[in-house]
Amino acid sequence: MRRTQRCPRLWSRLMGRYSNRLTLGASPSSGSSTGATLWTQGTFSWLLSCSRAIQTTAVCRKNRAARVRVRKGDKPVTYEQAHPPHYIAHRKGWLSLHTSNLDGEGGAAERTLEDVFIRKFIYGTFHGCLANEIVLKRRANVLVICAVFLQRLPAYKLYFLVGYTETLLSFLYKCPVRLEVQTVPERVIYKYL
Amino acid sequence: CLQEATPSFSLRTTLSLCFYFCSFSLRPRFTSLTKYISTIQLSKTLSSAFSFLQDPTAAHYMFQDDPYLIPRNSYECRLFSLSKESGKNAARYIVNEFPRFFEKDFAEPHIPCLMPENLAPQIEEVSEAALKEHIQLRRVKASVDMFDQLLQAGTPLSLETSNCLLDLLCFYGDREPTREDQSEQKEELEESEVQTTEEAPDQRKRRGHSWKTSDFIRPKWRENNNAERIFNLMPERNAHSYCTMIRGMVKHGACVRAHDMYTDLLNNRHTADVYTFNALILAVPEVKENYTERWELVEDLLKHMVQQKVQPNLLTFNAVLKTLRKCGGMGKGISLKILREMKALNIDLIIVRMFCHAVISALGSMEVIYEVMDEIEGKTFVAQDPHDGNLKDVELAYRLHKVLETGDNWKLIGDAQQQSLYCARFFTLVCMMEELDVILKWYKELVPSLFYPNVQVMWDLLQALDTANHLEMVPQFWKEIKQLGLSNRPELLEEVLALMAREIHSQETQMSFANCAADIKSIFETQERNQVPLEWTASALGNIAILFSRVGRIQEAWNMLELFKRTNRVPSDKVMNEVLTCTKQSNTPHQAVELVKLAAAFSLPTTAKLARRVIEEFELSEEQKKTLEDADPQSSDSDSD
Repeated sequence: MRRTQRCPRLWSRLMGRYSNRLTLGASPSSGSSTGATLWTQGTFSWLLSCSRAIQTTAVCRKNRAARVRVRKGDKPVTYEQAHPPHYIAHRKGWLSLHTSNLDGEGGAAERTLEDVFIRKFIYGTFHGCLANEIVLKRRANVLVICAVFLQRLPAYKLYFLVGYTETLLSFLYKCPVRLEVQTVPERVIYKYL
Repeated sequence: CLQEATPSFSLRTTLSLCFYFCSFSLRPRFTSLTKYISTIQLSKTLSSAFSFLQDPTAAHYMFQDDPYLIPRNSYECRLFSLSKESGKNAARYIVNEFPRFFEKDFAEPHIPCLMPENLAPQIEEVSEAALKEHIQLRRVKASVDMFDQLLQAGTPLSLETSNCLLDLLCFYGDREPTREDQSEQKEELEESEVQTTEEAPDQRKRRGHSWKTSDFIRPKWRENNNAERIFNLMPERNAHSYCTMIRGMVKHGACVRAHDMYTDLLNNRHTADVYTFNALILAVPEVKENYTERWELVEDLLKHMVQQKVQPNLLTFNAVLKTLRKCGGMGKGISLKILREMKALNIDLIIVRMFCHAVISALGSMEVIYEVMDEIEGKTFVAQDPHDGNLKDVELAYRLHKVLETGDNWKLIGDAQQQSLYCARFFTLVCMMEELDVILKWYKELVPSLFYPNVQVMWDLLQALDTANHLEMVPQFWKEIKQLGLSNRPELLEEVLALMAREIHSQETQMSFANCAADIKSIFETQERNQVPLEWTASALGNIAILFSRVGRIQEAWNMLELFKRTNRVPSDKVMNEVLTCTKQSNTPHQAVELVKLAAAFSLPTTAKLARRVIEEFELSEEQKKTLEDADPQSSDSDSD
């Protein structure tokens, strides 16, 4: 049982929902007397006296990773954005596919770093044209970048950027890099949240 | 004729002597024949793009597989491929400008082509090694300066190095090679490694119609330029030096000097190698004017080759053939014999073999032989045969196509433009000669993977449909025309409409025709921003009206008639008759009366007939009958008379 450091005058504290602060010295066997003591002595003393405490237990905040909170219903979200991460392998796939997370395989950190760089690179190079997150697939030596673009640029400009990206990333990572592109006229909205 | 007989005899002797000296197994010499063929490419990117395709249903694999990104006609095809290539050039520029970001080498094994290029010379001091390095890096001016410095300092230079320097100067014609990322002359740099410098000048000469300006503004060989100066300064010269000089001179247009240099070489009792002879043979047309003299000079050179025991190779024959082209009429007979000799010498060029079969079996006209020669030299297939109308030429075309499909032979055609030209001509020939299902089969195979048809090809295709009496496929091909972006060509539109409106077909065909007509109408009406709006013509309007009226779309037919008025065109009698028939089907007498009034407004000669028809076929009220007779000027005139 953990203790909280506080003014020794105070005996007890109201139990909050997410905190497990326990009282100092209160014996459970007191029963109702403790209850009376609570009311007479310690309950509202935080109003009357300054009480300081530090949180020494785990804080369980609400999970906010990769989730779009439901609001008024005017924000369009894609399928990818609409599903939180616990739907991966159920309703979503992975965005980065490589074997370094298997048992006995190395290089996971390097692959992750490369992925981050490539995502930022593509986001900047094809600025405003990305309809969705990029999927990176590594097969043997080849790095395949699957991207869905909006049809905002004329096709020959897209080809220029595709050629540029493929060559530059090949030189950077010393492996063949291929870009597989699909275009959509506008972002594919799954729902409005 | 006599004149032909004598040269041919001596050629036979010469060549048979060559044959005697040639080993029977010329094949091993050309083990890398496909590599040889591949180095004749005009434009590396585009011609590599047109190697034999496995999938006829899709566009080329270098394009992304997406409807927005697939090229729809040849212009787009070229544009996309060039823009992708320029993106790659931009990336390479970045890599070479900022090499420090790309130098971390974690590839196992090391991949040299993915490392930034190191073009700066390492060795600083003035020495022979530094000169070698400059030559390696293709820095013409710097190497000449280095050479001069070395000479002034008195350091003796080895013969090899001097020869290397001469090679460099002769190859580049005393100019700096342009950098890769600055112009489209990448091929020269990629091919010009020091080891292959001997083959490279010949290859450059052997390129066909290149559209690069470098071919039109050939660098001229200046008098007493650096190459000649260094040549004269060299203390000792061997055969290689002479050879290089000759080849450089021929490459840059100083052919007479090349022949003089050759005489020098003979005087110094050196032997030239096969590439030099090829160069000299190629230079013959510049040296002599007369056809006979040219041929004699070529024969002389061949005899010298025999004397110096130099084996001719494929390039020799190419050079001879090329020169013979410029020999006019006399060349034709000789070239046929040369081809036979080449066949006898077992030169392992698939095309040559098959074409010799084709030529000898077809016994065709001389143009066919020119095509053969062109084919060998990798130029465009100048298909004269469609106009000959010779049936055998179709088989020839098929054989050619089959030959081209084997292996890497597509690359012999050259770049995309000539490729599409070849395909267009081939397809036109097929359209003219073959039946419809064969045509359709070839269409499916060639389009869109290999070429995009132009207006002429679509026209021929439509004619073929007409001949085969399969006009119900016209709407299908109309879709293709639209997709190819040819829908704003008025002649094509007219042709499509005329073909559809000519006869009456079954009901469903008529429906599809009418939809097609509605489509075409919308094309006439929508005016896109950058295009000149299409003018309505009387025939177009008339045909559309006919097509609408045949399916009973009376309202739209009426709209067409009103369009006639608006655009000041006069409808023909057929149109009016058809619309009248339609009105009869919908049984609207007042519209029929309107029709007659319209005809009178146009002062058509058939107004009287129309009026009579209306009166006969429709149940008209008195008022309407009266208006009809009033509207009809001729009947009133004839009545009055």
